[in-house]
Amino acid sequence: MDCLTIKVCKAFISKQSSSQNGTVEPSGGAQPSSSSTTSSTTTSNTTTNSSIVSSTFLHQKIQQTLNTKPNAFVELICSGCGGSSTGSSSRRTDIKRNTLNPEWNECFTFPVETGQAYPEFTFRLHDYSVVFRKSVSILGEGKISLKEIIRKYADESVPEFSNLNEHELHVELVQGSKKIGNLVLVLTGKFSKCTTVATSSNSSSSSSSNPPVVNGNANNKPERRPAPPPRPPAPTPGGPGSSSSSGGERGSGSQRPPAPEPPLPPGWEVRFDQYGRRYYVDHTKSTTWERPEPLPPGWEMRRDPRGRIYFVDHTTRTTTWQRPSTERLAHFQNWQGMRSQILQQGKTRFLYNNAENSNSEAASQVNPADDNQSTQGAGASSSSSTTVSTNTEEQLPPLPDGWEKRIRPDGAIYWVNHLNKTTQWEDPRTQGQLPLPPHWEMRVTDEGVNYFVDHNTKTTTFEDPRMPDTKLGPSGIYGVPMSYERSFRWKICQFRYLCQSNALPSHIKLTVSRSTLFEDSYHQIMRHPAYELRRRLYIIFRGEEGLDYGGVAREWFLLLSHEVLNPMYCLFEYASLQHNYSLQINPASYVNPDHLHYFRFIGRFIAMALYHGRFIYSAFTMPFFKRMLNKKLVLKDIESIDPEFYNSLVWIRENDIDECGLELFFSVDFECLGQVIHHELKENGDAVRVTQQNKEEYIKLMTQWRMTRGTEEQTRAFLDGFNEVVPLEWLKYFDERELELLLCGMQEIDVDDWMKNTIYRHYTRSSKQIQWFWQFIRSIDNEKRARLLQFVCGTCRVPVGGFAELMGSNGPQRFCIEKVGKDTWLPKSHTCFNRLDLPPYKSYEQLVEKLTFAIEETEGFGQE
Amino acid sequence: MAATRRLQKELQDLRTNGVRAFRDISVDESNILYWQGLIVPENAPYNKGAFKIEINFPAEYPFKPPKINFKTKIYHPNIDEKGQVCLPIISAENWKPATKTDQVIQALVALVNDPEPEHPLRADLAEEYVKDRRKFFKNAEEFTRKHSEKRPAD
Repeated sequence: MDCLTIKVCKAFISKQSSSQNGTVEPSGGAQPSSSSTTSSTTTSNTTTNSSIVSSTFLHQKIQQTLNTKPNAFVELICSGCGGSSTGSSSRRTDIKRNTLNPEWNECFTFPVETGQAYPEFTFRLHDYSVVFRKSVSILGEGKISLKEIIRKYADESVPEFSNLNEHELHVELVQGSKKIGNLVLVLTGKFSKCTTVATSSNSSSSSSSNPPVVNGNANNKPERRPAPPPRPPAPTPGGPGSSSSSGGERGSGSQRPPAPEPPLPPGWEVRFDQYGRRYYVDHTKSTTWERPEPLPPGWEMRRDPRGRIYFVDHTTRTTTWQRPSTERLAHFQNWQGMRSQILQQGKTRFLYNNAENSNSEAASQVNPADDNQSTQGAGASSSSSTTVSTNTEEQLPPLPDGWEKRIRPDGAIYWVNHLNKTTQWEDPRTQGQLPLPPHWEMRVTDEGVNYFVDHNTKTTTFEDPRMPDTKLGPSGIYGVPMSYERSFRWKICQFRYLCQSNALPSHIKLTVSRSTLFEDSYHQIMRHPAYELRRRLYIIFRGEEGLDYGGVAREWFLLLSHEVLNPMYCLFEYASLQHNYSLQINPASYVNPDHLHYFRFIGRFIAMALYHGRFIYSAFTMPFFKRMLNKKLVLKDIESIDPEFYNSLVWIRENDIDECGLELFFSVDFECLGQVIHHELKENGDAVRVTQQNKEEYIKLMTQWRMTRGTEEQTRAFLDGFNEVVPLEWLKYFDERELELLLCGMQEIDVDDWMKNTIYRHYTRSSKQIQWFWQFIRSIDNEKRARLLQFVCGTCRVPVGGFAELMGSNGPQRFCIEKVGKDTWLPKSHTCFNRLDLPPYKSYEQLVEKLTFAIEETEGFGQE
Repeated sequence: MAATRRLQKELQDLRTNGVRAFRDISVDESNILYWQGLIVPENAPYNKGAFKIEINFPAEYPFKPPKINFKTKIYHPNIDEKGQVCLPIISAENWKPATKTDQVIQALVALVNDPEPEHPLRADLAEEYVKDRRKFFKNAEEFTRKHSEKRPAD
């Protein structure tokens, strides 16, 4: 906040003024005085039918009689200081008795706040009557306008501030039209300008090209920040020639025509709402409370053929929908500057490289529809087709929409996906079951019983080679032992198999420029039919032609993911202000008229990353991943994205709410881009009060709404785009945390660094449980560590600076282990605080058991 | 609006019950999310003046707490130069949807009347308050006299 300090030094009062007529407060300088300013003694002739005037008159009479000088004090009235723009505040000096040359030398500081108009100051010289207590008469007054003063006298040598350094000012005090004296002030203050860019580009961008929009109200409510007009100020036409910087007398500032504000950028207009508040209209439909900055140098505003406004940066030859501001540009540059770091990080990510490769090779050998097959599924090799017996098929649900089952002349069955125009051997309802080992084949006997041919040994068997040894434990839903099904490796293997078996031959070439990565990639990806994106990728960075054996593609995925998720584009936002890992869809993305196209594109792109086994730079929030998996979002999910909201909902659930006057109804509001959006949680919800009885329903509906508010369309577009490349049902093996690992890869986790940056609550470093905890961490592999980290922090990614830079929802938040509960409890986590609630377990084994459960079990766990 | 009914009720209660230390409550009819009022402390060194505050309620009220700002400058260890005040009752950790603005104001008035130098927002003033109470009172009185608003008539 800026401040103006006014030192009221002294005044010179002309002799007769002490006997001048004046008005008594509160009538504050009204008419009676002006009628009688010329003569000091004839005031008695004025009709005095008001008691106020008569008392004033009497007061003066007596003063004259006593022949005293005024007891002077100055009242400073500031309009436009402090809180509301209408609010005015007043201060006063001490009273200097019986003098025509009072000296106060008192300082007063007034806030000149961002968002406020320039204040104007009125100085009223009063005479305080000794005889009549509380009887005060105005001797005279003068006004100054801070805006004028800054414009004329401020030191503009520092770019960020306009400085007033002990500037001496003589203010003429007038009574009516008569000058009664001078007041000497010294002004000191520092006023931040809008931005340097704003001032410097004023002349170039806005004033030269387009005529400024007329700014209706420069007089009474100047702009919100005291940014002075560009430095050498052209003398205001019609203004008195008092541009001398000396302490010459100044008339009442209000008579001066107000200094023009810097013009608004073209296309903008200032308006007032019904309450007189000023707002700005951009005639591209948007409004804002903040005064728009002129465009930074080198930028230009244009309209596309559909009349939509966009902005061109001629320096980098880029365009954007978002109006550039210095802050945005700085953020953008910063984001761009991270590229090398991203690539560095990308190199350290991994996901079972070896296992994955060998498995996918195996898969491709099994699958007939691989490389050498046409997309129409016509020429399948007969040697290794998988046939599904009819009796099992009857138990299956009907085929998904757009799918068709076909039978080749030789009896082989295949499935056509009309959505993608692809075919596959696998029944989409059962696909992804564990592949047969290499050179195995499943056949059906005449009786309809499955049997298996091992072409390696040329033998047959009724025993499914995929079936586990019974000693591995009971089978899970995919018919393999549960312990195996649970392993991430197995799941990845299933997913890779699906990808491999639906791959298309040949390759697809995408040519992009580094400088226009987003737009180029968007056009390239969207102009191809989605299924073609499953072909081998061949990425070319323009001007860097080289062979893409995977390295370039890896780079492209990392860079482009970093680019599209850039919150600057307003498509995604950080889940919470401080939590700078996870992104979610920005409800305000509709500022970009094409946002749904972009979300569809990003959906395709993310699916491509999964399909081609590449990593992206950063990931989404857990609730977003759950949404991708079509999992139900629960109350606990809110905690990671909006802990305050979550706490309030939990409070409502846990307390009897009938007696606490919550005044809640089945409706809710939220604010998006300054606009309050109202939503009824159910039909006529505005009329349904939330009670103890129906609160569960309320919480359920609120949870649903909170997790989807303002982002439904976008999510839909994203998922549509995704589904075009990778059918969402392929993700069924994974839970949301595994999906994050799959998409971002794992990093080597430095346990020493982790230990060093962990804090404890109600435990100490040497507590048994803590010792066991670290013993456990050291004993497990990287995947498990990553998953534990995910469990506690909501992400598997460690910041570039290591654990010391771990962030929580309210800023830096180190990994924390707290002693909570009893040893029969399971561990719990608070992802927004990076906190693990670890009960005081009795033994290492118990701790391992409970923690392992926490890591592996994702459903229904840790949820209150 | 969802928050409106709750706030209207709170405002009505506040106005009928009349809090001595919180006066001149003004609410823009168009925007019930923004309140202003005058804190009138009873304890020295602030009892010679009154302090204008503003209360901003979020659209998601009462799921999120209101924010309070002093518009009048005050010499107080728990209120900084920008008028920001650290009030536990409206912090993210302690907020409950059942907390009423009335209670928030009571807490605020209590804090103004009895500073808590253990949780200062202005460490310099807290130190002065602890080490040289007389000097603190003198400065605060002086500051109040200069900057504060007029106390409303009883």
